[in-house]
Amino acid sequence: MAIDYKKELESASKTMILIHDPNALIKIIVRMIVQKVKLRYAGILLHQKEGDSYILTVSRGRLGIRIPEGFARMNADNPLISFFRERKDKELFRDGAIVYKKAKKILNRKNISPHLKKVLRGAVYQMEIFDAVACIPSYFRDDLLGLLLMGKKNNGREFSQDELNFFSALASDVAMAIRNAQLFKEIELELNKTHELFLHTTMALAAAVDAKDHYTRGHIGRVTDLSMKIAGELGKINTKAADPKFVESLYIASLLHDIGKIGIPGAILNKDGPLTDDERKLIRDHAVIGVKILEPIKELGESVLGVKYHHEWYDGSGYPDGLKEKQIPLIAGIIAVADTFDAMAIDRPYRRALSKDQAIEEIKKQSGKQFDPQIASIIIKLYQENKI
Amino acid sequence: MAKLLIVDDEADIREFAANFFSKRKIEVITASSGEEAVEITEKHKPDLILMDIKMNGINGIEALRRIKEKNKDAKVIMVTGRKPEDEGSFDQCQRLGALGYVHKPLELGELERVVMSALVK
Repeated sequence: MAIDYKKELESASKTMILIHDPNALIKIIVRMIVQKVKLRYAGILLHQKEGDSYILTVSRGRLGIRIPEGFARMNADNPLISFFRERKDKELFRDGAIVYKKAKKILNRKNISPHLKKVLRGAVYQMEIFDAVACIPSYFRDDLLGLLLMGKKNNGREFSQDELNFFSALASDVAMAIRNAQLFKEIELELNKTHELFLHTTMALAAAVDAKDHYTRGHIGRVTDLSMKIAGELGKINTKAADPKFVESLYIASLLHDIGKIGIPGAILNKDGPLTDDERKLIRDHAVIGVKILEPIKELGESVLGVKYHHEWYDGSGYPDGLKEKQIPLIAGIIAVADTFDAMAIDRPYRRALSKDQAIEEIKKQSGKQFDPQIASIIIKLYQENKI
Repeated sequence: MAKLLIVDDEADIREFAANFFSKRKIEVITASSGEEAVEITEKHKPDLILMDIKMNGINGIEALRRIKEKNKDAKVIMVTGRKPEDEGSFDQCQRLGALGYVHKPLELGELERVVMSALVK
């Protein structure tokens, strides 16, 4: 057996373990074994959790001799599978592989138990059915993840011990690659779950504010939708607004922009009449209260800026810090427009709701004063195109 | 020698199955489509037909119907990609008089058993 292809396979296998791509690795291994060791065929059965069976997934070799991919399976109770699952290979074959000829010899021995003989006879019969002369298990710990079946060599010679050892090493690389890929998938699932939990918790918090402020019921949901639409359109001309990370922060910030209202007495929020100056001041505190509430959640990052500055004005006359123009974070500028547009469409004790037409007129008037002109122009465009 | 007709539009499967049963002392003929299967059955009168369901052209179920129309004693075992009861074709195959079915991926031992016992019946 030439050394060059061994090296090639070894390095391919190390790479594949790292990139979590067991299927590519298995294909390379099976192809190389057939080509370089010159076998009539080789195939790998891989474990499927569903149905707890082993499916012949990769197969190479001569037409008519190779087993078609996806055609054959072995159930958990298949004698060859139970032979390996019960780790009988350890008892009978030092290196883990079953070689057909050796197995036949063992069957003729008198010093093995009837049970072992029965299992081995079943396994040998399966090898005959599959026309395999050697069979190499792929374990992770004691879990059988796959089975490499090999047909005769074209020249009729036996496998050398050296070759069998090498195949066993490859088989354990395959197991490692499969296991790593599984772990990687599980971690990804777990991360997704955690992320979902975060989003749903945020929505629950947002609903708490919505329930407290009677005048603005449904307002948070509408502001969030509007912010998303603005970002979608703005993203075409502003790369930051197109960044998925920014969009997610904006989404969270929109949901939480009024979270500070939890700290404002309900009697003021829901007051049936005009507000006094003191009351208005108190309501203004909601931006800073919001930041305090969210402070412990370090992961919120940029979202907190949206909560803190969504009442800043482009000309510097807003609150809490009187920031102006480019000092106002983009995230806050977007929420400011969406928030005001929606608020204008709500009836208040001191004024009737404006129509959308009137609200847009108001945005136009305030562009460059209350609002960042670029963002204002986006909501105007969305309105003109009937998208809001 | 018993005669087995293997019907599948995938050459890989046709050739493998043909080789598999030839080694078991069975005379094997193959067809690569439902239409061809109907013709060959007419001509060669196989003792058993192994028929894939999913094929281009007429599918295995239609081929089964046509074969049974001309020769109601023909013995046909259906091969399907999924469990046939899932795709609702199991009942249809039974009504049309199929002898049995196996589903891919299959246990080769089971395939051997099913075919051998059908041939000695």
